[in-house]
Amino acid sequence: MSRILGIKYDENNKNHRFARTLVIAVISLTLFILVWWAVSVVTGNTAIPTPLETWNALVDLYLNGDRMTHRTLGQYISASLSTFVRGFILALAVAVPLGLVLGYSKLLRDFSNPVIEVLRPIAPIAWAPIFILSLGYTIGPMLVVFVGIFFPLLTNVIFGVRKIDPNWIDAAKTLGASQLQVFYKVMVPSAVPYVMNGIKIGLGIGWMCIVAAELYATPLMGIGFYLATQANAGYWPGAYAGLVIIGVLGLLTVGVADLIHRIVAKRTGMDV
Amino acid sequence: MNWEGNAGCTWGESSATSDDAHISIRNLVKIFKRDESETVVLDNFTLDIRKGELITLVGPSGSGKTTILRLIAGLIEPTSGEIHIDGRPCAAPGSDRGMVFQDFALFPWRSVRKNVEFGLELAGIPKEERKERAEKYIKLAGLEKFIDSRVHELSGGMKQRVGIARALVGHPDVILMDEPFGSLDAQTRNIMQVQLLKILEKTDQTIVFVTHSVDEAVFLSDRIVVLTKRPAAIKEIIDIPWPRPRDRADREFAALRKRILTELEEENVMDY
Repeated sequence: MSRILGIKYDENNKNHRFARTLVIAVISLTLFILVWWAVSVVTGNTAIPTPLETWNALVDLYLNGDRMTHRTLGQYISASLSTFVRGFILALAVAVPLGLVLGYSKLLRDFSNPVIEVLRPIAPIAWAPIFILSLGYTIGPMLVVFVGIFFPLLTNVIFGVRKIDPNWIDAAKTLGASQLQVFYKVMVPSAVPYVMNGIKIGLGIGWMCIVAAELYATPLMGIGFYLATQANAGYWPGAYAGLVIIGVLGLLTVGVADLIHRIVAKRTGMDV
Repeated sequence: MNWEGNAGCTWGESSATSDDAHISIRNLVKIFKRDESETVVLDNFTLDIRKGELITLVGPSGSGKTTILRLIAGLIEPTSGEIHIDGRPCAAPGSDRGMVFQDFALFPWRSVRKNVEFGLELAGIPKEERKERAEKYIKLAGLEKFIDSRVHELSGGMKQRVGIARALVGHPDVILMDEPFGSLDAQTRNIMQVQLLKILEKTDQTIVFVTHSVDEAVFLSDRIVVLTKRPAAIKEIIDIPWPRPRDRADREFAALRKRILTELEEENVMDY
């Protein structure tokens, strides 16, 4: 038991620890908003609206929709999310099986590694103009998200299969497992926590990609488009409101992934 | 009981080969090669193992005990030489030879029950029978309270009892135990030895047991094979016809233990 600023604090009490984290987070965010406010006031630059102006723009968007395009906040969000989810599912469907196979086979890994290593450092956003202009507004942005999620997910799955305890494979073999059974009864389940880890990292990157892709793919009418139109019109509080929405949704996405990751880690007894 | 007299154990009389061999190991050579380095682990190793006996391999560290076990399991292939079980050559691993591992090698994503059922699942045994057989062996291992627990919730001793139940449940002819109690503390180790003997009373499997502990070997074995340092050759085979449970405080017990320890020290390794 100790005291912080005169308040009793017990490190061994779960509620105390949680309260401590919460209080610090609130102080941190408050300071951030104050600094933002100060910068806005001191510079007097209209391109840096105050937090209050941003908040008002956010509330206005929520209550009245976008006055320029007559679209609601819900429509913007669902447009972005729908592209995001499709890209995510596609990445999952390709990266997980491919990662399992590449983790398993050294030959295929050595074969594909040069290609993967050349493509991986290319920023997903760099693909945006190519995908969107050549494949259109439905498939293009989805593929940008796909690229963003695909590589971190793939490398994690490969790593997961390779990190497998060789004793598990030996144990399965002495229990009568065929090569195929070793693969789907041992390698696949043992890679699950790594898949989750890859998803967690991939979601964060994927979310960055969707917003950037929407700056090119205006007819999609997602959050990125909203942000761009507000900025183009010189209505900065609206643009900042867009940033806030993107940040909060990204936080929620990663939060959900983190929660699932923790549940999986607990269920499988394997933390990665 | 005097181990030098008629009722005691005898050594030197038991030979490495016999006609009623269950597992027949003939002229086994195992050389590990990696680039320029070459390690001869086994050079012309020959041994017969009788049906239903508990035979222990003791020897200096790195003498190739585990290699012999892994060769019998079929997890690795000999450079030359042959292993037959009841006249059948054993090459690939199979469910006729169960294995228990030093670090347990349990599947953390499966419950205790599901770990024990693993081999039965592979063999395509119907669900009801699987359940029944797994429960029987989990009970035999004294783990009925933990049947739905996850592996990481168990202590080391409990984990290894799961490992033993998993190896026994498929009724293999042979159980290969690779320093199964090597990672447990001394007290747990002694308890596990007693429990192992209790479990084995109800089965008629042949046990090939590798250990560092001479004490453990004398406590458990029908026969002890004392190996030389690498490449492993048989220094001596000792028959121990004493009844079980054996008393570690017994004079003969202590004398035999000391004798084997001295032999191992001659191999220039301080190893208990």
